[in-house]
Amino acid sequence: MLLESVSTMDFIGSKLADFLTYTGFANVEWANVIMIAVGAFFIWLAIKKDFEPLLLIPIGLGIILGNIPFKAAGLEIGLYEDNSVLNIFYQGVRLGWYPPLVFLGIGAMTDFGALIANPKLMLIGAAAQFGIFGAYMIALAMGFEPNQAAGIAIIGGADGPTAIFLSSKLSPNLMGAIAVCAYSYMALVPVIQPGVMKLLTTKAQRQIKMKPARQVSQTEKMLFPIVGLLITTFIVPSGLPLLGMLFFGNLLKESTKTTRLAKTAGSALNDIVVMLLGLTVGCSTQASEFLTLATVKIFALGAFAFIIATASGVIFVHIMNIFLPKGQKLNPLIGNAGVSAVPMAARISQNEGLKADPHNFLLMHAMGPNVAGVIGSAVAAGVLLGFLS
Amino acid sequence: MRKFISIVSFLVATSAAMAQGAHDFKINEVYVYGCAGRCHEAQADSGAVAPEKEEHCKKPASYVDEYGQQASWIEIENTSYSTHDIRNCFLTINPAVLDKNMSAPEREKLMSVIPAGDPRTSIAAKQRITFFADGHTNRGTLHLNFKLPVGEPFTIYLFDGNAVDLLDSVRVEAIPVGSSFARIAGDEWQVLEADKVTPNAPNVAYHNDKIKEFKEKDPHGIAMTLMCMGVVFSCLILLFVFFHIFGWIMNRMAKLARVRAIRAIHEQAERVVEMAKQGTTETRGIEMENYAAVIGLALHEYFGGTHDLESGILTIQQTSTTWADKSHELRVTPQIHPAN
Repeated sequence: MLLESVSTMDFIGSKLADFLTYTGFANVEWANVIMIAVGAFFIWLAIKKDFEPLLLIPIGLGIILGNIPFKAAGLEIGLYEDNSVLNIFYQGVRLGWYPPLVFLGIGAMTDFGALIANPKLMLIGAAAQFGIFGAYMIALAMGFEPNQAAGIAIIGGADGPTAIFLSSKLSPNLMGAIAVCAYSYMALVPVIQPGVMKLLTTKAQRQIKMKPARQVSQTEKMLFPIVGLLITTFIVPSGLPLLGMLFFGNLLKESTKTTRLAKTAGSALNDIVVMLLGLTVGCSTQASEFLTLATVKIFALGAFAFIIATASGVIFVHIMNIFLPKGQKLNPLIGNAGVSAVPMAARISQNEGLKADPHNFLLMHAMGPNVAGVIGSAVAAGVLLGFLS
Repeated sequence: MRKFISIVSFLVATSAAMAQGAHDFKINEVYVYGCAGRCHEAQADSGAVAPEKEEHCKKPASYVDEYGQQASWIEIENTSYSTHDIRNCFLTINPAVLDKNMSAPEREKLMSVIPAGDPRTSIAAKQRITFFADGHTNRGTLHLNFKLPVGEPFTIYLFDGNAVDLLDSVRVEAIPVGSSFARIAGDEWQVLEADKVTPNAPNVAYHNDKIKEFKEKDPHGIAMTLMCMGVVFSCLILLFVFFHIFGWIMNRMAKLARVRAIRAIHEQAERVVEMAKQGTTETRGIEMENYAAVIGLALHEYFGGTHDLESGILTIQQTSTTWADKSHELRVTPQIHPAN
């Protein structure tokens, strides 16, 4: 009897000891702790500072989830283990089908009216893409291969889905770092952009009042996605997945006959994809993959890319103002909105404009370059993909 | 009914463009197994070399089938970027199948069909499948009912599942023993030496030369920047030009429509006035006011209140007004003036 109970205790002891080897405490490393702290910081930023909570909460929790240490025993639980639930969700990132779905939602939510009303604002959206190529040149100088440099540089487009799409094709090994970097800096747009905007403008320039945009007819709004799709994809077919879905979503909205579909694409579907995208991108930052020198370089390059993009947009407005007649000058504060962080960048223009003149409302003017930036960054991604894949 | 007919006609008209798949298969490499010289005939008869002749027969080591047997083989590549199944297609070296008067069933009898029901016939994008031309179809899906002649030229034909459409054909001249005849690029073919034969593998190793080229010729990224910014600007400039012109046209059309509407209202108003003059309506009092209100409302609508579609969005449009002027605000509790 005694022997039996001793062997039972041994059995329980050995099993518990075995169980302990599976716990996070037994497998934790300092790198995991650091990444969990980073995830918690993201969540804090989202909740306390209100920095893009829709992005940072899923990413922050994803970072924590992806860095919970566990024993590699083929339990099919980790993001990088075949057939795990997280791995299945991650296929949307790895194979690049979340970004086009997000673009569908963006298209269904975006009103291109401001852009159609004042089409010259499209050029600001093109100029701001210089952030991508400025970062590309710096990345090459830092020793990255052209395909890796392109994947990193697209962060300058301030477009998370595009960054994920391009990096999954050109530099899949850097995709986690690129995605987190792109979304982090998008959330930090209110911190990065105002300083650059103030530095490149005088108070008088910031107070320029722009003429109200003309009323745009529904026919023009309906025609925009079709013409936009034809022009952009005929020039850059490699941008088809992103541009196609963007304009498809917009056509659903503007056709006025598919309101139900547009509502779903812009709300429920978009929310589902954003949740899965944010979570899995966060998860992909497992400490062993993420805490590397390359990640540090990527974050530094990302900051440069955002600064260059903002500066090039603002400078381009100054150049445009040289050629525009008096009374039709543009407020250079809308130049920052050339990046495709919609509508965050436009909101920055509005806020900075109000600081310079409480009666100057720039939001609708800034929405023009902002949505042009979405098209511009998708085109830039398509061109890079065409050149390097 | 009209809608149904137009949809059906559209589908029929576009079906040719939509039909894809089998046309993407190409013969990629052909290998003739055998040896030159005395043992040909024996081999041709039995597929094996008589033991007494084997010492004279120097056959190079080659790709073997599931039974460990060596045989001639034909490699077919799916040249598309999507998975396609080659089942039910036909392979043959019999030139009689080119006779256009021959019916499909007659042609099928002269060819070796690729059987259905084997997952291996589903070929992924840019991948290959290799068939053994050993005359032993009983050995499985990958075995054909004919052999390739050794030391003689021949042509291989790949037919679609209808046994009518020729998907690809290749003329193979007498190639050295142990070598293969392989497609290198497009329609360019080359004899690969024995040690360079590539069964079930690409004939040319794939390298992303684009990255290498950019690294060598554009180390600072200046050319890439110029090209990409050029393309981005081109796209958006084209959009700008289109919508600039289109916006101008739409503005003109809206103005013309408004002028037409105002003209129509004026005509109506003149008619009302005419009626009033004729005494058919009261020109004073409440009735006249009603007429004026109706005309006024119509004019207001056409001057500024017309919409082609209501947005359903309420906005606050800033207008210069003094209603919120600080000087008008009551900051001190009103008191009775001492004079009162």
